[in-house]
Amino acid sequence: MSKRIISLLIVLVLVVGMFAGCGTGSNSGSTPNKDNDGNAETGKIDGEGYTVNYLYMVAQEGANQQKVAEAIDALAMEELNMHVNLIPMTFGTYMSQLAPMLAANEPLDIFPAMSSSFATYIESQYVVNLADYLDYFGDTLEVFGDDAYCGYIGDFLVGFSQMKERGYPTGMVVRKDLMEEAGFSVEDFNVTTDDYSTFEQIDELFAKVKELHPEIICLDGTTIMAAGAGSSYVDNMGDDFGVLENYGQATKVTNYFESDQFRTLCDIAKRWFDAGYVSQDIVVNQDSGETKMRAGNCLSFVCYVKPNTNVEKLAQTSYETEVISLGNAMKSTNAVNAVMFSMANAAKDKTKAAQFMNWTFTSQKFNDLINWGIEGEDWVLDDQGLAAYPDGVDATSVGYHNDFGWIYPNQFAGHPWTGNPTDIWDQYRTYNGAMEKSKAFGFTFNSTPVANEEATLVSVSDQYLKSLAFGAVDDLDASIAEFNNALYGAGLQKVMDEKQKQLDEFLANNG
Amino acid sequence: MNLTKKKGFARFKQFIPLYLMLIPGFTYLIINNYIPMAGIVVAFKQYNVNDGLFLSPWNGLANFEYLFGSEDTLIIIRNTLLYNVAFIIVNNVVGIALAIFINDVIHQRLKKLYQSAILLPFLISIVVVSYIVFALLSQENGMMNNSILPLFGLDPVKWYNDPTWWPLILVITNCWKGVGYGTLIYIAAIAGIDLSFYEAAELDGASKWQQITQITLPCLIPSIITLLIMSIGRIFASDFGLFYQVPQNSGALFSVTQTIDTYVYRALMAAGGIGRSSAAGVFQSVVGFTLVMLSNWIVRKVSEENAIF
Repeated sequence: MSKRIISLLIVLVLVVGMFAGCGTGSNSGSTPNKDNDGNAETGKIDGEGYTVNYLYMVAQEGANQQKVAEAIDALAMEELNMHVNLIPMTFGTYMSQLAPMLAANEPLDIFPAMSSSFATYIESQYVVNLADYLDYFGDTLEVFGDDAYCGYIGDFLVGFSQMKERGYPTGMVVRKDLMEEAGFSVEDFNVTTDDYSTFEQIDELFAKVKELHPEIICLDGTTIMAAGAGSSYVDNMGDDFGVLENYGQATKVTNYFESDQFRTLCDIAKRWFDAGYVSQDIVVNQDSGETKMRAGNCLSFVCYVKPNTNVEKLAQTSYETEVISLGNAMKSTNAVNAVMFSMANAAKDKTKAAQFMNWTFTSQKFNDLINWGIEGEDWVLDDQGLAAYPDGVDATSVGYHNDFGWIYPNQFAGHPWTGNPTDIWDQYRTYNGAMEKSKAFGFTFNSTPVANEEATLVSVSDQYLKSLAFGAVDDLDASIAEFNNALYGAGLQKVMDEKQKQLDEFLANNG
Repeated sequence: MNLTKKKGFARFKQFIPLYLMLIPGFTYLIINNYIPMAGIVVAFKQYNVNDGLFLSPWNGLANFEYLFGSEDTLIIIRNTLLYNVAFIIVNNVVGIALAIFINDVIHQRLKKLYQSAILLPFLISIVVVSYIVFALLSQENGMMNNSILPLFGLDPVKWYNDPTWWPLILVITNCWKGVGYGTLIYIAAIAGIDLSFYEAAELDGASKWQQITQITLPCLIPSIITLLIMSIGRIFASDFGLFYQVPQNSGALFSVTQTIDTYVYRALMAAGGIGRSSAAGVFQSVVGFTLVMLSNWIVRKVSEENAIF
């Protein structure tokens, strides 16, 4: 972090400190009043004009942002008697603004929090323990079922997830036109981690495409099998240091980077890299595979996949794509709690904020509004009952359109976008139901006791992991050994021991 | 006694307008630079937002531990220091040389053009610079591997995987980008040198080279020392963009590109925490402060009139 940002933070903190007396004192006494809960059950809530500050992600600020804000405010007034102050943020803004906002205790009630930050947020008391307000989350608990409990770190309920896929299997998104031209169809591929020689099917595709189109880069992007391993082939329980191997079916915490699987996946990547199938700049590339594919000379990229990946990628890459699965789907805590809607400490009335949050998980109108904008202007229902652009409006002229269902409370409550099957949400439910559960499902590692080791380990991993995972090294075994030495030198064993200890406790209580 | 006192007050009275002019800048300094120093306490605290800055519990030096917990700490400190030393030397030498050249350009228009051209890179965002470097060094389409090296019959280099050349690349990039700023200051300083020195020297038959070494350089020493001490104060901080963006965040290059700022950024990217960020800032500031005092003390020992305080 540049020194300027650090000093900015210090200034902010100082200012907060100066006003701490006026700002936070009133909150400390507000414990949930359980007797006052009669309204929640009948579904009639009187928010008494309370203003909820609701932070959420947007693709970009559209022209109709203000209209959407007014519509949501009107909707919440009608249904809850609450005002809503929408705080839309793009990812870039979110990454740079959220931490100072929380540290300064700025007005904020509900916001999406990333799992990597939970420990800091809890330690710094930025977030409220929602376990104290569970009475107000009746509908939410019903929507999520067992998945609601993935928000617990120990006894602390950080927040609630989104309704979406519950596992992130790795897959390869391939341009359909090039694949067909090379004489392949997606049915030809049966790649599995039970037999790594099946990855050679992809070599054949790459070789053929390279022969037909030497200028095409067969694989580009920012991720590959071994780099995304954290939440795909093993259950990492929150971070990459100490994992349960074999799709979370082990109960002993091991170091993934010493495993045979890691070596094999790196070796496959090295084979592709050395053959020139992969961009020679891939290790330093910072543009997503979607961006590369849209540019027109990229055949495929690796990413996490789900039932309607090809619909989503068509919009993002403007190419028809096919998805080759590169592994099994595992249901892990991490897949559920990667992003959580949390309540900020700055929420003035935590009960009302909780009631509002509960409402966001059930309201169809709310979920449609934040995702697709104003009905009639930004979207209309087509004859299949799907949301679609109105006549004369398209992706470039629409005033508000995010397609961020995966990071909004409950896209299942809203309308799917056109191009999806009409029963897409049922497909999701079936897909989620069929996944293999990790043994550690429901457990989240609390990294606070080893925060210093974590910080150093992240730095070590940044240094070695990407080159290894993309196979851009000369001597794979030597590099892996060097990587592991550096990890142990940074305190990997201590983190793994702590993780094992917490996991054993969890398994003993939930086994 | 009385007389001198009055004289002191009269002197003060005489300068009142100047003191008034000082007030806005001084207020700014106090608010922007001095008051926030109280925030240093957060580096020694386990910050939580409910207790606020001053009431959060103390946790001693725990926030500093991660800075020294890694085996690479020495490499990181070495990189930060050596790069800055190299930057200070190279940028000053090149800056002075360019200033002398530009100052001797007679054509006024061309002189303005050269000045602006040299300053231009200083104004370019480091992200843009990183892509200019990438256009040269890219392993897939880069100009170096595809056009320049083959011209000399050399093999392509895996630039972003091979740390060998990076100290040189970074020093060149930094010089290209930053030299204009120093050059401007030196041009101004040279313009301030009394022309009669040069006239006298010419009459005595001094060559151009003698004029430079005997007149220009000695007259520049106060400016050089001021710039030097100011850059020494920042010797423990590094240009984040240069070390993070220009090497494209390539892990294979960390041994020669990791500096304190990039290390702190990487370590805290995932789970920040104000305490640890501040600890890094405090550490850099304390070392910077010590070095400034030390270098000023050395300058004073060597030639007192050139020390800045």
